[in-house]
Amino acid sequence: MSAALIAMCIIMFAILPANATAAESLATQPSQAKLANGERIFAATGGCTCHTNYPGEGANAPQLAGGRALETPFGVFYSTNITPDPETGIGRFSDADFIRAMREGRSPNGEHYFPVFPYPAFAGLSDQDLVDMRAYLASIPAVKRANKPPDAPFPFSWRATITGWKLVNFDPQRIADDPTRTRVWNRGRYLVSAASHCGECHTPRTLTGGLDETLALAGSKDGPEGQLAPNITPHDATGIGKWSRADLVWYLETGFKPDGDDTQGLMSEVIEHGYANLPTEDLEAIAEYLQSLPAIENRVTRGD
Amino acid sequence: MRRSSMTLSILVTVLLSLSFAFLSNANIASADGHEQDEARVKYRQTVMSGIGNNMGAIGDIMKNRLGMPAAIAIHANQMADSAALIAPAFKQRIMDGPNDAKAEIWQDWAKFEEAIATYEEAARGLATAAASGDPKAVGPAMRALGKSCGGCHKPFRKPKEESYKNQ
Repeated sequence: MSAALIAMCIIMFAILPANATAAESLATQPSQAKLANGERIFAATGGCTCHTNYPGEGANAPQLAGGRALETPFGVFYSTNITPDPETGIGRFSDADFIRAMREGRSPNGEHYFPVFPYPAFAGLSDQDLVDMRAYLASIPAVKRANKPPDAPFPFSWRATITGWKLVNFDPQRIADDPTRTRVWNRGRYLVSAASHCGECHTPRTLTGGLDETLALAGSKDGPEGQLAPNITPHDATGIGKWSRADLVWYLETGFKPDGDDTQGLMSEVIEHGYANLPTEDLEAIAEYLQSLPAIENRVTRGD
Repeated sequence: MRRSSMTLSILVTVLLSLSFAFLSNANIASADGHEQDEARVKYRQTVMSGIGNNMGAIGDIMKNRLGMPAAIAIHANQMADSAALIAPAFKQRIMDGPNDAKAEIWQDWAKFEEAIATYEEAARGLATAAASGDPKAVGPAMRALGKSCGGCHKPFRKPKEESYKNQ
């Protein structure tokens, strides 16, 4: 009898973690640890800054309520409302909906998201981190603001085009730790490749708008909002080869470059609202990973 | 020679030399003006680099944990003192040549001066925080200073895409 009870307890214990996600999404108060990890992943994404219209509405723009114009070579797309508003935001998303959006680029009703939303990178995020991030996003103030359709020429404005784009360019991959590397390096790769989605801006794109992995993180002339995204591989002359580990950590924490100059453009925003809020160990992990990459010679200037 | 023709020739000579003198002076003035403009732009850039160097030095101390809070305070005070150099350095509207100054500086001079005042206050704030011996005060002061750099650079300095350095 007691043996049966113990067996039942063991079975219950084995089942519980698997059901924890569903159970927690029903709970009204997620644990502090869950919120803290969610906030950390949110910070690692750069604070989802593309979803706040700072350029259009200034420092008082409603946080994460979308409407920011994102200029791409394929047209202008507007970021969406990711506050918990049930009508215009993501308040009705379940954990499963959120995971599908972040990993597969699909809305709860199966619609494709435009790949200006970096789901190819977020596909690498773990279940736990995604579920915690959703819990954090559910805790921020809800803002009612409807999403705007893109100003993009046909066929880029057409969601059916995304099916083709995904066939050519979308190969969602989870990131498994490399046992031959250190824990810090693995954490760095996870952050750089998935959460912080550095390649979405710093890797140039092919003609079909996929990432040109032969020039991974070597900089792009067609960065976000028409900006230059510098080469962040450790190449001495054209990248960040001359930056020390401390230089990189300090930069991600404060936005100050080794020469004392400040940061411009979208990068200054993702530092201020995101990376600056990461614990130092995460910034050190990012730095360690970036410094371990192959140095690629690629000078990114407007004139070329 | 009659008196009248002599007067005329003197007059013509005087006029000719006057106009020659005027023209050559004008030439000198315009060549001089161009060089002056270049020199003013170079001076601006030296002033701004000096501020950047102090910021870089503060970064060197902090990111490598060298201690030296008194040195941070000196660098931050030098940055605050340098605030008074910025407006005179940019007074003349010069936008030619290798130069990242935006027209907005002279279109909204009051806002430019306001941004400089915010920067001066933030730099002085960092000096005070570093001198206070409270390590927790330095972080927020650093952030405020960083924001104040952008508070002037974003509206008044060309973005890197338009910078002469990236053409």
